[in-house]
Amino acid sequence: MKKVICLLLVCVLVIGAFAGCGPKAPEKVEITWWAFPVFATVDGVSGKYEKELAQKFMDENEGIQVNVEIIDFANGPNKIVTAIEGGTAPNVVFDAPGRVIEWGKAGHLVSVDDMVKDSGLAADITNENVLAACGDGTNYWMYPSSAAPFTMAVSKTALEEAGMLDRINMEGDRAWTTEEFVSLSKDMAAKGYKGFEMFAKSQGGDQGTRAFVPALTGAHLTDSEVSKYTMDTAEGIAAFELIEKGMKEGWLTPSIASDGGMAIKNFVTPVNNTFWCTGLWSPNVAKGNADLMKEAGMEAIGLPFPSPEGTDTSLEYLVNGYAIFKNDDAAKVAASKEFVKFLADDEVIGKETVKATNCFPVRKSFGNLYAGNADMEFYASLSEYYMPYYNTIDGYSDMRPLWYGTLQKIITGEMTGEEAAKYYNTEANKTIK
Amino acid sequence: MVEKITSNKSKPNWYQKLPMKRRETLVSYLFLLPCLFFFVVFVVIPILMGVFTSFFNYTSSSFEFNGLDNYIRLFQDQAFLRSLKNTIVLVVVAVPITVIFALFVGYVLYNRKSFTRSLFRGIFYLPVVTGTVAVTVVWAWMFDQYNGVLNWVLMNMGVIQQEIAWLGDERFALMAIIIILITTSVGQPIILYIAALGNLDTAQIEASKIDGATEWQVFRHITWPGILPTTLYVVMITTINTFQCFSLVQLLTSGAPDYHSSTIMYLVYEMAFTFKQFGYANAMGVILAVIIGIFSIVQYKAFSSKG
Repeated sequence: MKKVICLLLVCVLVIGAFAGCGPKAPEKVEITWWAFPVFATVDGVSGKYEKELAQKFMDENEGIQVNVEIIDFANGPNKIVTAIEGGTAPNVVFDAPGRVIEWGKAGHLVSVDDMVKDSGLAADITNENVLAACGDGTNYWMYPSSAAPFTMAVSKTALEEAGMLDRINMEGDRAWTTEEFVSLSKDMAAKGYKGFEMFAKSQGGDQGTRAFVPALTGAHLTDSEVSKYTMDTAEGIAAFELIEKGMKEGWLTPSIASDGGMAIKNFVTPVNNTFWCTGLWSPNVAKGNADLMKEAGMEAIGLPFPSPEGTDTSLEYLVNGYAIFKNDDAAKVAASKEFVKFLADDEVIGKETVKATNCFPVRKSFGNLYAGNADMEFYASLSEYYMPYYNTIDGYSDMRPLWYGTLQKIITGEMTGEEAAKYYNTEANKTIK
Repeated sequence: MVEKITSNKSKPNWYQKLPMKRRETLVSYLFLLPCLFFFVVFVVIPILMGVFTSFFNYTSSSFEFNGLDNYIRLFQDQAFLRSLKNTIVLVVVAVPITVIFALFVGYVLYNRKSFTRSLFRGIFYLPVVTGTVAVTVVWAWMFDQYNGVLNWVLMNMGVIQQEIAWLGDERFALMAIIIILITTSVGQPIILYIAALGNLDTAQIEASKIDGATEWQVFRHITWPGILPTTLYVVMITTINTFQCFSLVQLLTSGAPDYHSSTIMYLVYEMAFTFKQFGYANAMGVILAVIIGIFSIVQYKAFSSKG
């Protein structure tokens, strides 16, 4: 009996050992795509659209397997840092230049110079600043797909209720002055509405307050060469003093416990309080919250940030694009580049992904994807107010905690506006290495 | 066959040559080996690496030896000092409340009917099994400044005139975290106390009562010494868990306002994954481990020597 069992075991071993020697199906190149939830959802399910895109690509490229993972804005950046340090970074990430350029400079990414050159993107780009934002001056680290301005928004519903809708400029680029904004804020506060939420919990959506504050007094966050922070100028100090005053007087709403996402939620789904405006808006935020607003019975109007009489506002803008991580595997890098080309440049899918972000294509050849849409034409008109793209400055990610930390110091009364302006500027400049 | 046995007896192998005590020790270590492997790989080596890298300027782009600089910097860092203070406040306030409350509930429940005991055990254990994230989301909604139920109730009752930023005001943020921490921490100690109290010698308690002992005397001289080992375990585990409070802070306040609700564990996370200063974060971790060690030794001495 023992001999029989032994013989069987030996047979199993031998068969097992030779099993791998037969003809094998070619192995698939497996890549992982991590995406922030920028695309509009399908059926309200986050990640479903991204998986559909991956499936379409795999149908056309049978030798490549794409695994999709959605990461959120609050924890996603830290998750990527962990993955980079642990050697488990994804192959492709869908993000914005702020973080991407930093990874590129640190040597974690594959340059996409060849993709930019081969696809003729430089000649086809709608705005050269957008392409410049995707590199560090030497290499391109991100392959851009779409862009849109960050703006603020007001609640048409609340303004109508308060009988103040006529205080909003609905003509052209809808520009308005700081004086008009402050006056309206005070009047709305007097009627019991909550004003612009100065959210300062974390870096989530911090670009909103960072664009709003300097715009109020015509200050500039950085110099035009984006070589240093300049919020300690007279205009910068005045801006911080104005928000300090606004929060003390109650026409701005201090909010240390909220980040940008919560501020948007407070705006689009009023429960106990109604916020008449919000400082974090863009065409894709508007689209992403359309269902919630419909359910809450409210309507929003996008507006540029107010600026002093006679000066133009300054707007930050969002650039969506793809970056490819190094992983010492040429096949994976090649597969990742194919996948990125499919997502960004494909005649059909490329346009579809741009529309899914509700942003504007970075390629002129994609044409006007929103013909006849007055709202989108308004957002498109704001491109002339784009401020220098400072998200690629050295130490950008170290500067961000300083920004909301400074707002916290003003809200808690630990610093005056002037002290905060000087503190922020000094510390922010130290982050430029 | 007889010959074979005889020959085996005459030529013992190396193992058989060992004294019985040695042989048992060897076998014990062999049984321990699989666990020891995982312990060394996943606990000992990371600890040693953490201590080692705490002496380096270790960031995403550099790795340079900087001696004790990280440790010196710690005690000049306002954020660390605030986080250290908050962590100690958290331990000093939350641990005694958790232990005393758990002991009280356990004492009240342990000799109740089985149904009542199980019902309350279930109720108090619910926050433990629900998961920190789910519990925190509900609390965050309750504490929300503008849409939260707490401010709504208090304002409608006329207790407050203006919404309170429970999670954004330095006067309340840490207190809010302590409240949630206590609710998620009491479940397990209650279960342990009910079990420990149920195992006490009832004959001894009844005899002391017949001899005229008061309720307090019974507790002081019989119950308390009987549950002391459980108390030691509860106190040490609750203290260590409280020192390592992270998820509540991350999910509720992110340390705001200005690190007034931050803990060392949260700061370690922020320093490592937001600021990418891994060496400095590891130095904080080492200091936290030392503090936990000191607290544990003091607690062990206090609860194990005297009844």
